[in-house]
Amino acid sequence: MIPRDSSNPSPSTSPASLLGAGLVSAAGSAGNAAPGSPPEPPRLPELRWYERLNVLGVSLIIFLLACAASTPALRGSGRQLDYVGNLRRFLGYFFPPDLSVWPETLRALAETAQIAVMATAFAIVIALPLGVAGARTLAPRWLVTTSRMLLNVIRTVPSLIWALIGVAIVGANPLAGVIGLTFYSVGYLGKFFSDAFESVDLEVARGLRAIGAGRIQAFQHGVWPHAKPLVWSYVLWMIEYNLRSAAIIGYVGAGGLGVQLAGYQEYYQWEKFATVLLFILVLVTTLDVLGEWIRSRITRKLPRSRA
Amino acid sequence: MSSADSTSTFAAKPPSAHVVARGLGLKRGDRWLFRGLDLSVPRGSFVAVVGPSGIGKSSFLACLAGLLTPTEGKLEIHDADGRIHAPGGVPGATGVVFQNNLLVPTSSLLSNVLCGRLGRYPWWRTVFGLPRDERELAYRILCDLGLGEKVNRWVCETSGGEQQRTAIARALFQEPELYLADEPVSNLDTYLTGRVLGILRQEAARHGRTVFCVLHNPQLVDRFAELVLSFDPAGDGAWKLRKVASR
Repeated sequence: MIPRDSSNPSPSTSPASLLGAGLVSAAGSAGNAAPGSPPEPPRLPELRWYERLNVLGVSLIIFLLACAASTPALRGSGRQLDYVGNLRRFLGYFFPPDLSVWPETLRALAETAQIAVMATAFAIVIALPLGVAGARTLAPRWLVTTSRMLLNVIRTVPSLIWALIGVAIVGANPLAGVIGLTFYSVGYLGKFFSDAFESVDLEVARGLRAIGAGRIQAFQHGVWPHAKPLVWSYVLWMIEYNLRSAAIIGYVGAGGLGVQLAGYQEYYQWEKFATVLLFILVLVTTLDVLGEWIRSRITRKLPRSRA
Repeated sequence: MSSADSTSTFAAKPPSAHVVARGLGLKRGDRWLFRGLDLSVPRGSFVAVVGPSGIGKSSFLACLAGLLTPTEGKLEIHDADGRIHAPGGVPGATGVVFQNNLLVPTSSLLSNVLCGRLGRYPWWRTVFGLPRDERELAYRILCDLGLGEKVNRWVCETSGGEQQRTAIARALFQEPELYLADEPVSNLDTYLTGRVLGILRQEAARHGRTVFCVLHNPQLVDRFAELVLSFDPAGDGAWKLRKVASR
């Protein structure tokens, strides 16, 4: 794993030294070198093994060591099971999908979309000030630390747990989903917004200050126009992500497609379950393509920032 | 100092000192960029700042803008009523054409020019942009500089010369008492160079606004400037203020 340098060919036979010799002889024919004592050709300095290690190399080694230490996870139950047969049997339940449930699936799909959209909207409002507070270039150190710490804590909790908290607060309905996903999205959007603001070159805003603009004006007219496309592309990503999350949080009763999924699973109605999955697949794929197109349109015109 | 007072014959008001430096010195690292700089520039002067690259011209302008604090000495900006302010002390009174323009790359040319007057309004009045008549005026200034068709383009979509003209338009729109232009014509052709410097000259002569302009071309200095502040590479922090011979 560690690169060794014992594999170097000896200097006299290495291609590099041959090339060097050629150069020297060419110089010699021009009459520069003293005969009998050919000058030493410059040698490529070889790195010691530890000099070759950088962060990438070291972390790769750590990852490979971690892989070696993680094989117990592959042990399974230890019983002799027909893995392939199990998979075939289970997937067989899904076919053919029972498309007769499309009306209620469509209704649940709409509810899922509504949960995702509302949650994203609330999250934007909450995450924007947190994002500014978390940008090292804009906020004082204590505020940055506080804001980033808060966002980290929020991100640590999975969306399903947030949805569970929502259900505990308002009961099993779509509002619980909105509350849950709002918290979850704030964790991500806040961090992304911070990064977006940090990537903006503040020199322009300082210039505006020098010609008379106030702090808020310098932010609105000097920082925000540059951050806006990034912020919006993160928001689009978040909507997409929330749609996927909203499809699952119904498992704990927080509305949307998940409620249906949970119900069909409960009664082993896998053909109907498959229909719901199909709807999710179509929705997510569509959004992915659409979002990617919009994002590339937005960020294409952006100048290369230093970040 | 006394010689400078008689130069500004075009000024509308009787010439009074606008920018006064007393023993001004600026040290970057262990080198004095300039030292012992004494000058009193009357209101409405066009001052060319000359000298080789890296000598401290931009740093001098940065001191005038209040962006750098001089190492020693005093720098005073006198307003029309004779009150004395620190550099950059009156918001919006100093207009700067930065060497690298410092425009907002993801805003339109028009929006960038409009930024010139942000200092005239409290922030809550500029949240939704500036009033209609201000926008019309900004548009006319851009038209004057040949950018009428590109007002709604983003800055990052335009050429270097167009960006430079936008930066100049922003300063003109601001109508500051003191212009600080750092090589404002470095990316412009002969025609536009004459036009831009002519406008700045007019700002000084007609409206009594003082212009400090870094220039490299001696012909342009002779044609447009009244005073020349030259930084000398020979001595440590040496400088010289002289009148342009042809005036």
